[in-house]
Amino acid sequence: MGSPALPDGEQLRVKDLVVRFYTYEGIVKAVERANLRLRRGETLGIVGETGSGKSVTAFTIMALTPPPGRVEGGDVYFRRADGGIVNVVKLDETELLRIRGKEISMIFQEPNAALDPLYKVGDQIAEAILAHRLPEMLDKASKLLEDEVKRGAGGLGARLELWAYRKMRKDPRSAALRLLKRIPILRGLIDRRLRRVVREEIVELLRLMEIPDPERVVDAYPHELSGGMQQRIVIAIALACSPVLLLADEPTTSLDVTVQAQIIDLIMRLKKRFGTSVIYITHDMGVIAEISDRVAVMYAGNVVEVAPVKELFKNPMHPYTKALLEAIPRPGSSFKSIPGTVPNLVNPPSGCRFHPRCSYAKDVCKRVVPRLVKVSEDHYVACLLYGGGGDGEHTGNR
Amino acid sequence: MLKPKAKVEESPRIKELKFILRRIRENPLSIAGLTIVIFFTIIAIMAPVLAPPRPGRDPYMIPRYGYTPEPQPPSPEHPFGTTQGQYDLYYGVIWGTRTAYRIGLLVVSVSALIGILIGGIAGYYKGVVDEILMRLTDIILAFPGLILAMALVVAFGPGLDSITLALILVGWPTYARLIRGEFLRLTAEDFVEAAKAIGCSDVRIIFRHVLPNAIYPLLVVASLDIGSIVLTAAALSFLGLGAPEGYADWGQLISFSRNWIIGTAQNPFAYWHVYTIPGLFLFLFVMGWNLLGDALRDILDPMIRRR
Amino acid sequence: MRSYLIRRIILIVPVLLGVTFLIFAITQLFDPYMRASLYIRDPRQAKNIESIIRKYGLDQPFYIQYFRWLDQVLRGNLGWSQSAHMPVLKALITYFPATAELALYAIPLTLIAGIFLGKIAAVKKDTAVDHATRVMAIIGWSLPSFWLGIVLLAVFYGGLGIFAPGRLSVWAENLVLSGKFRIYTGLYTIDAILNLNWPVFLDALSHLVLPVATLVIINVAILMRVMRSSMLEQLNKTYVIAARARGLDEKTVIDKHATKNALIPVITLSGLLTAGMLSGMVITETVFEFKGVGYFAAHAATQLDIPAVLGFALFAGILFVIANLIVDILYAYIDPRIRLG
Repeated sequence: MGSPALPDGEQLRVKDLVVRFYTYEGIVKAVERANLRLRRGETLGIVGETGSGKSVTAFTIMALTPPPGRVEGGDVYFRRADGGIVNVVKLDETELLRIRGKEISMIFQEPNAALDPLYKVGDQIAEAILAHRLPEMLDKASKLLEDEVKRGAGGLGARLELWAYRKMRKDPRSAALRLLKRIPILRGLIDRRLRRVVREEIVELLRLMEIPDPERVVDAYPHELSGGMQQRIVIAIALACSPVLLLADEPTTSLDVTVQAQIIDLIMRLKKRFGTSVIYITHDMGVIAEISDRVAVMYAGNVVEVAPVKELFKNPMHPYTKALLEAIPRPGSSFKSIPGTVPNLVNPPSGCRFHPRCSYAKDVCKRVVPRLVKVSEDHYVACLLYGGGGDGEHTGNR
Repeated sequence: MLKPKAKVEESPRIKELKFILRRIRENPLSIAGLTIVIFFTIIAIMAPVLAPPRPGRDPYMIPRYGYTPEPQPPSPEHPFGTTQGQYDLYYGVIWGTRTAYRIGLLVVSVSALIGILIGGIAGYYKGVVDEILMRLTDIILAFPGLILAMALVVAFGPGLDSITLALILVGWPTYARLIRGEFLRLTAEDFVEAAKAIGCSDVRIIFRHVLPNAIYPLLVVASLDIGSIVLTAAALSFLGLGAPEGYADWGQLISFSRNWIIGTAQNPFAYWHVYTIPGLFLFLFVMGWNLLGDALRDILDPMIRRR
Repeated sequence: MRSYLIRRIILIVPVLLGVTFLIFAITQLFDPYMRASLYIRDPRQAKNIESIIRKYGLDQPFYIQYFRWLDQVLRGNLGWSQSAHMPVLKALITYFPATAELALYAIPLTLIAGIFLGKIAAVKKDTAVDHATRVMAIIGWSLPSFWLGIVLLAVFYGGLGIFAPGRLSVWAENLVLSGKFRIYTGLYTIDAILNLNWPVFLDALSHLVLPVATLVIINVAILMRVMRSSMLEQLNKTYVIAARARGLDEKTVIDKHATKNALIPVITLSGLLTAGMLSGMVITETVFEFKGVGYFAAHAATQLDIPAVLGFALFAGILFVIANLIVDILYAYIDPRIRLG
C-alpha cells in the first residue's frame, strides 16, 4: 500500500528535518533540512564526522531528541509492522511508547553506559520484553499453570496466580493488582511462572546473541561483563521484540578491533534472520564499506550525498565525500587530511556549509544552500557543482 | 568597500572575565546576591558615618541610653529601638556589619592561605608528606565544625578573637583538600612536565602555572564559606562564647533577644524589633554571599570542566 | 565486599585514635591543675589534686599522658562535669535520649523531603517548580538556625501560645517522673506509646514540632540541592536514554532508573548531614530548652566546664566517624559495582 508520504517498499523517510539545540552559548543548528530514505530490509550507512548531526538524526527518528534539542521542522515517516504509516515527530507520547523498543530500537556507542549499573542485565532485557510482549508471556505462563492445575498439582497459590494473569491480560492497570504488588510476600507469589517464562525467553535470546553460558549471564551485573558481552546484551534488548527498524549509533567504536568484527558480524546475521532494516551510523569508512547497502554522507547537519555503497566508493561526487575517501590512510601515500575544522553550528557558514573547506567552492556557494539532486541511478548529491540551487533559496544564517 | 579591521586577539583571561561578568548579569539570583553584598559592604565601610561612635570610646561597644531592662520600640531617636539594657539597636546592627566582615574576611583569608600552603605542599610533593598532612586534615574534618570550634573557644577562653582563631583552625582543612586536589590534577598535566623539563624551579612552577588555574574553585568555596563562617561565629556568640554584652555583634544581639520573644500580655509581638532586626541583618548577609557563591559556582563549574 | 568492609572498618581505627589525640591536644592547652578535673569522677577527689596529678602523670611528657588519658577514656572516665554535677559520661548518657528523639524525627523527615524535592526540581528543570525550590534552598541554607528557632517560638509560642519550649509540659513531666510512668527508652514519644498514654504522647509530640521543624528546614535545603544536581547528572546519562528507547514510560525511567542511581552520591552526603544535625542539635536544643546532649554541651561551654565540653566533642567526633562508616557500608551494599568487587 503506497502513499504520497511513503511509497511501497520504503520503511522510513526523513524529510527536511530541522533540529536545533537551545544552549547558553546560542542556538546550535544541528540538523538543517536533512533528507533520508530507507528501503525495507536494507542497511543504510550514515557516515560523517563528529558534529555532522548523524546521532541527533537517529535519536530524532525515535523522538528521543536529547534536550535542549527541539525538532523545529520536517517529518519522519515510518511504516509500522502492521503496515500503517505514521509521522514520528507528530505522534503523542502514548503512541511513541508503543513504537520505541518494539518497532524501532536502538543500540548505542558505549555499551557500558547504556546499561543501568544497578540492575542485572537479565532484568533490563526483561523490561523490554514485559513492556511490549506481556500478553504473549502471560499466555505462556497461564498455559503452564493450566497444565499444572489439570494434573492436580498446584493449590491455592496456583489459582491465585492464574487469576492474576487473567486480570493482567484484561486490565493491566487494575487497582487490585497494584495493591497486590505492594504486599511483599504475595508479590513474589503471583508472578512466579511469569518470571520463569520470561527468563527462558531471555536465555534463548542470549543464545541467539552467541553469548556463552547464558544462564549465568542473565544474573550478571553490567560491570561483570566485558565490553563485547555488554554490547551483545544491548543488542539483545534492542531485538527482544523483533523491531522492523534498528538504529545503530556507532556500536563498535568503543570496542576492540577483534570484538568489533564479531559484533558487526552478529548484527548482520541477526538482521537477516529478523528481516530488520538497519541504519548504521559510524565515522569509519571501512565499516561502512563492509555492511552498508547504501550510504548517506552527512556534513554539519546536512545530508550531502546518498548512493549505493559500491557506487559511492567508485564515484564519489561531493567534494566532502571525495576528501573523506582520500583521507583514509593507505600504505605508500602520505596523510591527507581535510583542511579547516568542523564548523561552529551556532554560526554556521552561509550557503553550503562545506564551502570554507571546499577546494571547488565558488562565489555562489556562499549564498545558496544546495539541495539533493539526482546525478545518476540512485545516486544523489547536494552540491552546486551538479545543480541543486533548487528553490532558489538565498540564505544566510537562519 | 572592504575595511581592513585590525583584530586584536584578546588574551584568554580577559575573555573569561568578560564571560563571567556577562553570565552574572544574566542571572537574576546572582544580581540579587551581588546587590546584597555590595549593600552590606557599603554599610560596613560607612559605619562611622552612619552611626557615629562616641569619642574616646571603643566604637564596637554599643552606646547605652539608660539601664532599664525592657527594650524600647523604634522611635525617631532610636530608629531600630533599643534592646535589653537600652543599647541602641541601630548602632548595634550597623557596627555589627563590620564585626561580621572582620571575622568573615579574616577567617576565610587566613584559612585559605594556610590551606593553600599545606594543600600545595601535599599535592606537589606527594608521598609521605601528602599522607601525613592528609591524615591531619581527616582528623580535623572528622568533627562537626561547630562542635570542634566550641571546644577550642572554651579552651582559649571566650571572646571574638578566640572564635576567629578557632574557626581558622577548623576551616583550613577544607581549603587544603581543595588545593591539594587541584595540584594533583594539574601536576599530572603535561605542561608541568614540560616546564620541569625546561628547568623551571618548583616555586616558579607553582606560582606561575599551577596556582592561577586553581583560583576558580577556590573563589567559589571562599565566597560560599564567608556566609558559613559568619553564621557559625554568630552561633557561638549566641551561645555566649563570643562577644561580651554590649558589643556590636549580631549573634550577641540575637541572644539578648531570647528573653523577649513572649512579648507582653497585650501584645505578643511587642518586642519584635529585638529579635527580628539583628536576625534579618544576619540572614540577609549570609544569603547575599550564598547567592553570589552559588552563582559563581554555576558559572565557573562548566568552565572548570571545560579546561 | 567483605574485603572492602574489613578494610573500611580497620581504617576507622587510626581515625578514631586521631580524634582522641586531637581532643587530648586541646587538653594540653591547660595547666595540670585544670586538667586534673578530667580524671576525677567525684568532686571530693579534688581535694587531693596533687596525688591525682602524680597518679596520671600530669606533669610528665605528653606521650605518657596521652596513653594514661586514653586508658581512662576507654574505661569510661571522661572526668567530672561541674555544670551538670555528675560524671561527664553519665551526663552524656542521661541527656542522650532527648537528642535521639529529635534525631528520630528530624533525620527521616529531612531525607524524605530533601530527596523528593530534589528529584522534582531536577525532573522539572528550569520551570517554576525548579526556581521555587531553588529559592527555598537558598533561604533555608542561609537561615541562622538559632534565629529561625527564636522566630518560630515568637510566632507560635509567643503569639499563638502553642508549641512551648522544653520536652514536656509541667503536668506531663510530673507524671513521667512519678512512679506511674515506666521509662523504657528515654524517648518520651516512644515511651508514651509503650505506656499506652495518649495525652503524654501528644504533649511530647507537640514539643517536638518546632525543634524538628528548625532542624529539617535548614538541612532539607542542603540535601535538596545535592539531590537535584545528582539527578541532573543521571538524567543526562546514556542508560536513561536507553531505557526510554526500550519503550519504558517516563515515570518508570525516572523512578526505577535515574532516581536510584542518583541516590548513591546522596547517601554519601547523608554522612555529612549527621554532622550538620549534631551541630544543629547544640543550637536547637539550647533555643528550645530541649534537654539533650547539645543543650548540655552549650550549657557547659558557657560555664567553661572543660571536661564536659571536651567529653562532648569526643563523643560527637566518634559518633560522626561511626555515622560515616555506616554510610560507607550502606553505599557498598547498594552499589553492585562495589558489593561484587
